[in-house]
Amino acid sequence: MTLFISDIEPGKRNMRKISLFYLLNAIFCALFGIIYEQFSHGVYSGYMIFAFAFPLVGGTFPFAVLSLFAHGLLPGRLPRFLYNAGIAALTVGSMMKGVLEIYGTTNDLLKIYRFAGFGFVGIGLIIYAAELLSARKSHHEKNDSNENQP
Amino acid sequence: MGIFRKKYKWGVIYAILLIAFTAYVILDTFVIARVYAKVSSEENIGMQNASESTLSTNPVKELILQATPEETADQNNTIPFTDSAVITDNSYSDRDIRITVTKYREYDTTIYVADVRILSAEYLQTAFARGEFGRNITEKTSTIAEANNAILAINGDYYGAQTKGYVLKNGVLYRESASGNKEDLVIWADGSFEIITEGEVTAQTLAEDGALQVLSFGPALIMDGAIVVSENEEVGKAKASNPRTAIGIIDELHYLFVVSDGRTSTSEGLSLYQLAEFMQGLGADVAYNLDGGGSSTMIFNGEVINNPTTNGNSIKERSVSDIVYIGY
Repeated sequence: MTLFISDIEPGKRNMRKISLFYLLNAIFCALFGIIYEQFSHGVYSGYMIFAFAFPLVGGTFPFAVLSLFAHGLLPGRLPRFLYNAGIAALTVGSMMKGVLEIYGTTNDLLKIYRFAGFGFVGIGLIIYAAELLSARKSHHEKNDSNENQP
Repeated sequence: MGIFRKKYKWGVIYAILLIAFTAYVILDTFVIARVYAKVSSEENIGMQNASESTLSTNPVKELILQATPEETADQNNTIPFTDSAVITDNSYSDRDIRITVTKYREYDTTIYVADVRILSAEYLQTAFARGEFGRNITEKTSTIAEANNAILAINGDYYGAQTKGYVLKNGVLYRESASGNKEDLVIWADGSFEIITEGEVTAQTLAEDGALQVLSFGPALIMDGAIVVSENEEVGKAKASNPRTAIGIIDELHYLFVVSDGRTSTSEGLSLYQLAEFMQGLGADVAYNLDGGGSSTMIFNGEVINNPTTNGNSIKERSVSDIVYIGY
């Protein structure tokens, strides 16, 4: 775990870039949903209309918070990759569910988006939490050793 | 290229996998055909007996009478059952089947109603596209109707668009997985209609009890002569007026097949409540909504009666999984 921490510690500027990227994704999803609904003959799907919420709530806001307020360790490349992969799966899955709902059909394969999405997000968050704990532990050990020095 | 730098490698690979999987889901949903069962030839024997001479290629659409509900009822009551098939622009009659098709103008919408009287429920049948039960197996309503020598046909419940929901056609059970609390229309062997809820009775029980057809789309529009759909209730969360298809029963072996045009400047389309109101006005005791929108199609004597459209711009039939028809 220490490998991730020492190897790649992205800066707050990087978090801002990710937050902005998610914001653009959210705007794209919102526009896509609005345009798609215009041609759906009055059939609406919450999954299509609110697909933008995944990149907005799951991406823009948390990375904006990290860029503005995070004092400790920022997430490393692996947890970020997994988290981003999860949000992408949930967003695409939501839009696909919307398309199929508006058409009036279903497909069991849509479950895979949900499982993969929440699975990747969960694993990403667990790894990030482990990184934070590991960093805190290292920090305490360093302080202890400094205090013990004559 | 920068995008393939090591830093982005896994992101690019994941994006490709996600796009590929999404493409597969789209193909699996809309394109890849899977046959689960074929309708046995024995089930079609009765259909093959229908005389081809009963089908005409008359330009029926422009000649159907416009009438009020009362006039239609009077008209169909006066047409006798005849020994040999008598076919006019808007009617069909032989010794077992009597059909009158009438065009109405209500709610800024053109509505086509086939008033059907038959002497046996066996003439009220359903058929699969290509005679096969499966996913993404579709044909136009007119093609399925022609293959089954249907005198009158409407699109059915489009079972192929769903992965769950009872499929019981012509007394054979094909799918028994329940779709939540969906309302189904059961057509019993005596030709009577009953609305059931899938979660409350199994498909196996319906088959054992002698159900001839189960139509799984909904919702129910009328039960015991009363409208049971609310003004705000819609299929697939639609809030707009749309082309509709519905089937109803007035009394013993006396049915209504209803199709409305919609999504065009000349015909707005109906809400479910309007459809229910209209059918109640025709005297329906039980009425049930079938697949609508671009699927809504009525065939009479080999001709497409209505103006089927998906986008409102071009008038053309959509391919569907199944039809409900009157024929031998």
